[in-house]
Amino acid sequence: MRSTLAVCRRELSSFFTTPVGYVILGTFTAISGLAFALTFIQFCRITVSPADHGYEGIPNLEELMISPYLVFCGQLVMFIGPLITMRLLAEERSRGTMELLLTYPLRDREIIFGKYLASLGIVIAMMTVVSVHMCIVGCYTDVEPAVLWFGMFALFLMSAAFMSLGLFVSALARSPVTAGVLTFAMWFISYVLGTYGKDLPEHLNSPVAWGATVSRGIEFFWGIFRKLVIELPLDRHCEQMAQGIVRPQDIAYYVLFVAFFLFLTFRALESRHWRA
Amino acid sequence: MIEVSGLTKVYGSITAVRDLSFRVEKGEIIGFLGPNGAGKSTTMRILTGFTPATSGVAKVAGYHIEDHPIEVKRRVGYMPENVPAYGEMLVSAFLRYVAAVKGVPRGDVGREVGRAMERCGLGDMANRVVRNLSKGYRQRLGLAQALIGNPPVLILDEPTAGLDPKQIIDIRQLIKSLAPEHTVLLSTHILPEVTMVCERVIIINRGQIAAQDTMHNLTGGDSESLEVEALGVSDTITPRLKAIGDVTKVETLGGGRYRVVSPRGKDVRGAIVQALSGSECSLVGIQRKGRTLEDVFVEAVAADRGGVE
Ligand SMILES: Nc1ncnc2c1ncn2[C@@H]1O[C@H](COP(=O)(O)OP(=O)(O)O)[C@@H](O)[C@H]1O
Ligand SMILES: [Mg+2]
Repeated sequence: MRSTLAVCRRELSSFFTTPVGYVILGTFTAISGLAFALTFIQFCRITVSPADHGYEGIPNLEELMISPYLVFCGQLVMFIGPLITMRLLAEERSRGTMELLLTYPLRDREIIFGKYLASLGIVIAMMTVVSVHMCIVGCYTDVEPAVLWFGMFALFLMSAAFMSLGLFVSALARSPVTAGVLTFAMWFISYVLGTYGKDLPEHLNSPVAWGATVSRGIEFFWGIFRKLVIELPLDRHCEQMAQGIVRPQDIAYYVLFVAFFLFLTFRALESRHWRA
Repeated sequence: MIEVSGLTKVYGSITAVRDLSFRVEKGEIIGFLGPNGAGKSTTMRILTGFTPATSGVAKVAGYHIEDHPIEVKRRVGYMPENVPAYGEMLVSAFLRYVAAVKGVPRGDVGREVGRAMERCGLGDMANRVVRNLSKGYRQRLGLAQALIGNPPVLILDEPTAGLDPKQIIDIRQLIKSLAPEHTVLLSTHILPEVTMVCERVIIINRGQIAAQDTMHNLTGGDSESLEVEALGVSDTITPRLKAIGDVTKVETLGGGRYRVVSPRGKDVRGAIVQALSGSECSLVGIQRKGRTLEDVFVEAVAADRGGVE
């Protein structure tokens, strides 16, 4: 436990003794602050004259503003996330300190959990910024507590899941830049799938000439493919939770996601025993 | 303290280390000597648990590295080649981190870090950023982090590489002072270093042990040799030399040169002059031929190349 915390503390101290940490947190604060101000102002405008914006009566604050804003923050964490996770293990490798890390009396799990904890620490720093925004809203109006708490929880789960993916990529890569680019590419693919997946047609028609069996097969695989495209993206499972609706399958998705990628990270670190 | 048998490490098509076997006893300082690419670092990386061996067994302090890596790592202080470190950290913060990771009790961390810095002459550098340390101090930092936790075994990969002569002397002194308390395995490709620091040498070449023995034995043991140059028929010269009381061995080197071996401390030169002062032969020269480690090294390294290059 102490070793895990030592690894975590060292990682965080490196993060904040170089400009990287400040740049990342600063960028997050700036973009999320801007998004918050814009949506808040827009919402205020709508409440002044709902009819002008096509609403009958004053729309729901949580539904129109809070939940989408929290989901946006999650996207933002994942957008900036590669910059956090790329250093975790790949940097140890690229500067040769992996040789120290792996010859100190540390177990793999102490290294991996220490690193993962450090990335969660930065996620929590980002979430502190978001919670300041939530307090500001709270000063002006009542906010449904379920939306607030579960929204923040969803944000945390989504970010934590993404960090585990980033950690895994960082465990594979030889240089932080490779890790960062790869992780970013994964986020981007997930984002694109999440955005366009819903528009995929439910059925894929194949030419009649191919016969019933073939077309049933195609139909079957298309169904699986479509389901995956819709269900896999990380942001997909926080939409409901951000509105205060907790579904066990959403929580299970994130927990399994983290467990899966931490497991792969262990395997990747262990691979030194059989590779080369 | 360290036991290695049949150690082999293969990287793809390169065999970095082949069937290495040696032992290091408690409290010894052993020099690992070999040209660049000989496999010194590879062996050390296996002993510290950083890379697994392809085959063979390595034990440190009685523990199998493969089976009990943590037990071994607790007992080994390792200074890797080129001293990797976290550039942005303060020297003292880095060493405190090392102490925590090595499981130094919380209350002792300050004292332990202070002791290691003191010992390595890093006292004035506590609040420097690692990146800004000069080469000499970075090397000391490498040694200091290895010493943290007071591990009984120290494995130092080229601890004096890239230092200026004054710094080299300091570091050597430091390593020598570690001796009875710690078991030290250090690698180097600098010959005199081994002569000055180590009690025993393992000469390694192309991943194989070319020679291993104490400094004393490698450089001739209890005997010393002279090279005698004389004119005349060797059939008459050799028996005359052999007839001298203290001479234990005579070798004919060709070209009128002979090697005469005698016990260390016995001067046989006078006897040789007398023995060869007849009419059939004449003495032309006598030269002391102490076998230096350099001779041993060149012989050992050249052996498998079929001669000196
Ligand atoms: N990670 C590696 N992958 C491939 N070859 C390696 C690796 N490490 C070392 N080698 C090779 O193994 C041999 C021994 O290297 P090394 O142990 O570093 O030598 P030394 O430390 O004695 O100079 C060299 O030929 C080197 O190229
Ligand atoms: Mg080397």
